[in-house]
Amino acid sequence: MEQTSNPVYTDQRMGQSRELFYYYDQDGRYVKKVGFHGEPTRVILQQAWDTFAERSEAARQKVLAGKASPIVYYMEKIFADPMNLAMMAGIPIWKVKLHLRPAFFKRLSERTLQKYAQAFNITVEQLKKVE
Amino acid sequence: MEKKNVMINYTHRQAGHCESGATSNLMNFYGVEMSEQMAFGIGTGIYFSYLPFLKLMFAPMMSFRNFPNTVFHRTMKYLEIDATVIKKFNDPKESMDALDRNLDKGIPTGCQVGVFNLTFFPPEYRMHYNMHNLVVFGREDNIYHISDTVMETPHILTYDDLLRVRWAKGAFAPKGKMYWINNVKKDIDFKTGVNKGIAKSVYEMIKVPFWLVGIKGIRVMAKDIKKWPKKHGNEKASFYLGQILRMAEDFGTGGAGFRYIFGAFLKESGEKYNHDGLLEASDMMGKTANKWREFTYIGARNCKNRSKPEEDYGMLGDMLREIANMEEKVYQRIDKITLS
Repeated sequence: MEQTSNPVYTDQRMGQSRELFYYYDQDGRYVKKVGFHGEPTRVILQQAWDTFAERSEAARQKVLAGKASPIVYYMEKIFADPMNLAMMAGIPIWKVKLHLRPAFFKRLSERTLQKYAQAFNITVEQLKKVE
Repeated sequence: MEKKNVMINYTHRQAGHCESGATSNLMNFYGVEMSEQMAFGIGTGIYFSYLPFLKLMFAPMMSFRNFPNTVFHRTMKYLEIDATVIKKFNDPKESMDALDRNLDKGIPTGCQVGVFNLTFFPPEYRMHYNMHNLVVFGREDNIYHISDTVMETPHILTYDDLLRVRWAKGAFAPKGKMYWINNVKKDIDFKTGVNKGIAKSVYEMIKVPFWLVGIKGIRVMAKDIKKWPKKHGNEKASFYLGQILRMAEDFGTGGAGFRYIFGAFLKESGEKYNHDGLLEASDMMGKTANKWREFTYIGARNCKNRSKPEEDYGMLGDMLREIANMEEKVYQRIDKITLS
């Protein structure tokens, strides 16, 4: 993932994509107009990205302190929860929950690590350490 | 095997909703004039479900649209058009080969994809959302030409990128699902299609005997909103509220959860068949949609000031309840209508 996980909208128009909007006007007509998203969308999207950034930063601190396994950090980075991750990696959820602890993470086999790495779209070496 | 370059003469038109847009564009490719709202209405795109026990992006899951591929499938079924839907493939490579064969025959093919790895998408929207639809209509070497109805212009994707989005993992995984129209007969019976579409929409919104689907679901959600600040604290309550708004605002139509498109469908069919009841219902639906948009605007103010909400959550809940009542009246109005 090259792009930052928190796109800051330098432009008021929020990116370059224009979309089609429907309106219902006073005369009882449905009007289609192409335009940019308004303020409410920007606020709620910004809120979402802020929350994700906060969560991933908190997870990073936890991993660096040795209280959680690197999987926690990478999981938060792609905004997944254990259930999503279980579906993505093809590992039962109760196992995923165990692997979130450092002690169980150390005992993981190469094959399981490969599965996780594939789900996160990174290499196994990257998965083992968090900087 | 040498792949030859294919470019199908396919017209890209922007639409508010990805799947109904793709369906109407495909129909237009085969020479049938069909607007987006018509495809949306006949394919019963309107829906509501609230599933608080499932979490999507750390917040309760709700959906303002039907399950993936319902719109295309039902439109084809109700209009009795010969179409093929391949629900899933076993092997990624096989799915791409099937797509290549279709392109060689000159058939524009729709695919269900996940949004997270879609490279041409604006980065602020790339979340785990596997119900997006696009149409592939051309190929040059390794580059595929894509018509995504949400975007203004057609885009391109490489082979690997297309394979990755078609095999996105997670809830509602696409598994390489693809669909296309085989051929279209001359005289399509739109009237029956409209009848069936309305009947199915009404059933799904007010008659499903399950308390989290349709109007009942909106009422449950309205009740839950009032509890959120006490139960989870202001911070989390505003994030949950944001989730509702994100799903409603999510692409096109601007914050009414596709209610505008359904209203436009009622209006168009009412004008086409001179039916006063449908026109009346479309007016009611338009007002409901405006109310939804107002709800979005007021709710967004709460999300802006997270720890100190400007608006009372009780008020938002009441507003949602009022919206539910307004919407229920629309469906009750069109329930008995049959075009003859």
